[in-house]
Amino acid sequence: MVDSRVTYTESLETINYPKHGGRGVVIEIKDFSLWYGHQQALFNNTLSIERGLVTALIGPSGCGKSTLIRSLNRMNDLIDGLRTQGQIHFSDENIYNPNVDVIGLRKRMGMVFQKPNPFPMTISENVTYPLKVDGIRDRRLLDETAEKALRAAALWDEVKERLHANALGLSGGQQQRLCIARAIAGDPEVLLMDEPCSALDPLATAKIEDLIYQLRGQYTIIIVTHNMQQAARVSDNTAFMYLGKLIEYGDTRTIFTNPKHGRTQDYVTGRFG
Amino acid sequence: MKKAKRSVLIADRVADHTITIGGILVIVAVLAIMVFLIQQALPLFKAGHVTSRVAYDLDAGSEPVAAMAMDEHKTFAVVLLTDGNVIAVHAKTGTRLSSAAADFQGKEITSSATTSDRSSMALGFSDGTIRLARIDFPSAVIPSSELPAGLHKLDDRDLTDGSSVYSRVPGNQYRHISTEIRMEDPLAVSESGKPIVALDCNAGGEAERQTRAFVAVDSNGLATLNTAYGSLNLLTGETRTTVEQTRLPQIPGGVELHAVALTPASGMVLIAGKNGDVYRYNTSDTNAPVLAETTRVLPEGVDLTVFGFLLGGQSLVVGGTDGSLNIFFLLDRDAANTTDGRMLLRTREFERGGSSFVRFDPSPQGKSFAIAEASGALKVIHGTSQKTLMSFTPDSGVAEYRRILLAPRLDGLMAVGSDGRAHFWEFSVPHPETTFGALFRKVWYEGHPEPTFTWQSSAATDEYESKFSLVPLIFGTIKAAFYSLLFAIPIAILGAIYTSEFVHHRMRSVIKPAMEMMVSLPSVVLGFVAALVLAPIVETWIAAVILAFFVIPLALITTAYLWQLLPLRIALRLEGVPKFCLISLTVIAATYGAYRMGPVFEDLFFAGDFKSWLNGSRGSPEPFLFLLFMPVSLIAIGLLASRLRGSRRGDRPEARVHTRAGRIRPAMVDIVRWLVMLMGAALCSYGISRMLGSLGLDARGSLVDTYVQRNTLVVGFAMGFAVIPVIYTIAEDALNSVPEHLRAASLACGATRWQTAIHVVLPTAISGVFSAVMIGMGRAVGETMIVVMSAGNTPIMDINVFNGLRALSATIAVELPEAVKNGTLYRILFLAGLVLFSMTFVINTVAELVRIRFRKRAMQL
Repeated sequence: MVDSRVTYTESLETINYPKHGGRGVVIEIKDFSLWYGHQQALFNNTLSIERGLVTALIGPSGCGKSTLIRSLNRMNDLIDGLRTQGQIHFSDENIYNPNVDVIGLRKRMGMVFQKPNPFPMTISENVTYPLKVDGIRDRRLLDETAEKALRAAALWDEVKERLHANALGLSGGQQQRLCIARAIAGDPEVLLMDEPCSALDPLATAKIEDLIYQLRGQYTIIIVTHNMQQAARVSDNTAFMYLGKLIEYGDTRTIFTNPKHGRTQDYVTGRFG
Repeated sequence: MKKAKRSVLIADRVADHTITIGGILVIVAVLAIMVFLIQQALPLFKAGHVTSRVAYDLDAGSEPVAAMAMDEHKTFAVVLLTDGNVIAVHAKTGTRLSSAAADFQGKEITSSATTSDRSSMALGFSDGTIRLARIDFPSAVIPSSELPAGLHKLDDRDLTDGSSVYSRVPGNQYRHISTEIRMEDPLAVSESGKPIVALDCNAGGEAERQTRAFVAVDSNGLATLNTAYGSLNLLTGETRTTVEQTRLPQIPGGVELHAVALTPASGMVLIAGKNGDVYRYNTSDTNAPVLAETTRVLPEGVDLTVFGFLLGGQSLVVGGTDGSLNIFFLLDRDAANTTDGRMLLRTREFERGGSSFVRFDPSPQGKSFAIAEASGALKVIHGTSQKTLMSFTPDSGVAEYRRILLAPRLDGLMAVGSDGRAHFWEFSVPHPETTFGALFRKVWYEGHPEPTFTWQSSAATDEYESKFSLVPLIFGTIKAAFYSLLFAIPIAILGAIYTSEFVHHRMRSVIKPAMEMMVSLPSVVLGFVAALVLAPIVETWIAAVILAFFVIPLALITTAYLWQLLPLRIALRLEGVPKFCLISLTVIAATYGAYRMGPVFEDLFFAGDFKSWLNGSRGSPEPFLFLLFMPVSLIAIGLLASRLRGSRRGDRPEARVHTRAGRIRPAMVDIVRWLVMLMGAALCSYGISRMLGSLGLDARGSLVDTYVQRNTLVVGFAMGFAVIPVIYTIAEDALNSVPEHLRAASLACGATRWQTAIHVVLPTAISGVFSAVMIGMGRAVGETMIVVMSAGNTPIMDINVFNGLRALSATIAVELPEAVKNGTLYRILFLAGLVLFSMTFVINTVAELVRIRFRKRAMQL
């Protein structure tokens, strides 16, 4: 929920600094608003996500950053009474076009959730789930993909002996890396991470952060985080959101060291949040 | 530290104890029911026990005993000696009571026989005459005030005036019993006046018009079948007897006769030689008897010692000098080398005695008999269950008995020894016919061509033997449950998946309570509707009903397929109520289509009439085999196709965001593919059915044979209605309780909602779904009213879905009101209850074990 006690007198104009040096824009959010029933959660947000970089979404609780990331692969569709306005372009297609194949869209955007959510199946079944969904039964291909994805998620060495053990027997951090492996196995272009470390201990968090660093470049990664150090450590670009509005977006170093906006300054320095 | 409030602590303590006590009480109640059922059923398996035993001298000289009789209350024992002397004693004490001797004018009784119900006897004399006789025990209950004076005490119950006995009965009354021996006039049977050496008799007809048949053999070997028609003159009270005599074909010479036996309806006469040769005469046409069969009932070199029928004249008990004891039936056999196509067959073999069995007395009640060994050991055996009910050995070590007699109610045995001592045992065998084998294994009942599982608890005649096999009932219960679950599980689980995964939650909040309300539909109403409304409809439209099983799923699949071809914009707009209406409309339209196409379908597949096709009178077997193999081959071809496709295209289909352009063509490809698969399946199943048909395989006669109106299909429908809401509700709850984050994970992987439901939600909730099915199964197994009303209650073992069944629960409901308390049927019904209880107990235990196993996987969620 929006904390209405914090009030600001300055005008809420987005300060947007698209970072140069990326490999082009992959997702373009244009004037995007979203309502849950009668309550508006996102207000005319516009921002471009660059290919191959890590983009962090930060902001206080209820600021709409999770809503925004879930809008990208239309996971919000599941919510009743949802209404959107504006456009989100992915590979030059408006994903809110009614004729869009949502299933195909989600296949191109892997997602990692706040709480590790492996399926109650074996580790290898978990990882190969996106392939199973595509109807692939070729044992060899499945095994290869599982190994590749687990290696990419830096989990292979820990689980290679027990690929057929239940995934729920893994520790929280391992489970989250398994979820990342699962997202990678589908061979997506974009990885959406919705506070992937909030349920993990510092050690597991460090491993995930290492992983994000390694995956950088291969995938476009969008990460929602509460942890400003984490955003500072792993991201190339950072977007600060507040009350459903994008306040400031730009190069991470700039946002953290020299924010243009007062609220950003207050938030990154820990004065509220 | 802050202390909790006293009242809170007390409330907590009280709640704790209440819950504990409540829980324990529930467990105790369940255990108590079980213990009660066991306690009620256990006496079925117990053998009898002796209640008293006495022995006394009869003062009977050395004359052989011609006949013995005893009344129902075991008050009198009457022994008729061959010289006409009658010894009447008080059976319990041996006190001699006076009775008039019969006057035989110096003739000796040379043979005698008693009818199987002991109502009358025939005595054969040395001059070739026969007298029909009765020993009756007239009894009347009088108040104690009318007790005559001058009685003296026999024992603590009985008083006597010297010839009759007064027994105290409850209610300060006395039962007055006396003996009465009535002899009819001699009938000349042997033309040449030779002594009658073997005799057997039977009684039939009504009281006013009694018919007594007897077969007699004189010492010349002349056998005659005689029928005495007695007609009672109602004005004078006199009985006139007329006798018709038929000579049986001559027995081959040199046969040393042992015994002769006659069946109750006089249809058969058996004459047995000492060496074990048996001559069977078919006397169903009394004017022209024929020697139908000559056979041996004993191995070569063994002589006959026991030969006689059990009550009903169907079980022939045969004992030999080798100590063997067997029962023979007369059965129709193709291999029979006899004039009437029937032959005597050994069907039961009893445990050999230490020495040969020499004396035999069948019980006038049920299929039990008493048997005495040459060594003096006595046994009471039940012929069908082959259970040894009692065995006795007298203390004094008697070598031989002159005669043995079972008390009319199978509660006493008297044996008169050659030394003139009478031994009298009283015992109690409440359930002679039940053993574990009789209840659960095949039993070869009288007149049946082979051992069978039969449930037939009552009939019109006394000679009838109750058949208590629980197997057909257990089979019926399982059959009803199986077919109703076959119908209910797919609908209930698919319905649960539909409402939990696909339907709008507003719709769900209407559907679910509606389904839950169905649980409260009284099952008697369901049964009533099924029996009186559904059964005739199904019977009339049977072809349409069968067709509907194919048409409705196909129609639904087709509609679903066409739906997803709709432009998304329209599809999204029609989501919700219109879509739901479309589904309902599809079902209605498909039902109507099946109804219209039913006659055509019947013409095409069942030669125009399903029922006459079913009983094999018309049509060929292939069309039904075709229908049977159609789904199987469709599934097989589908699997094959997906396997081929899967391996051909190893890499992933390209994920596309925008799909407007490429929509129609894949749809056409899909349709063509489905059509090809359908055609392939049709072709394949056509080939299989032709092949099996040409091999002579026919589903009729094995899988399906007859059609009865109250059949398992109707039960399946009706019970499905009772079971669907149960399974649906529990399964829906289980599916709905799968954490949302798993659905999100699956959808985020690009799975469709169907894939999510099948690959993630269902496996996660499988323990709950499984227990839903098991609870549904428990309900189906225990369900009573529906099966009582719509199953036809025929205790047959037939997997045919168009035939009826009889379930354990229905049997209990139907038969308990007419079962005598603590009688055999009563206890067997309790046993049936125990079996039912164990079945549901086992089902629930297995369900719980499997559920726990399944749940381990999902536990950490």
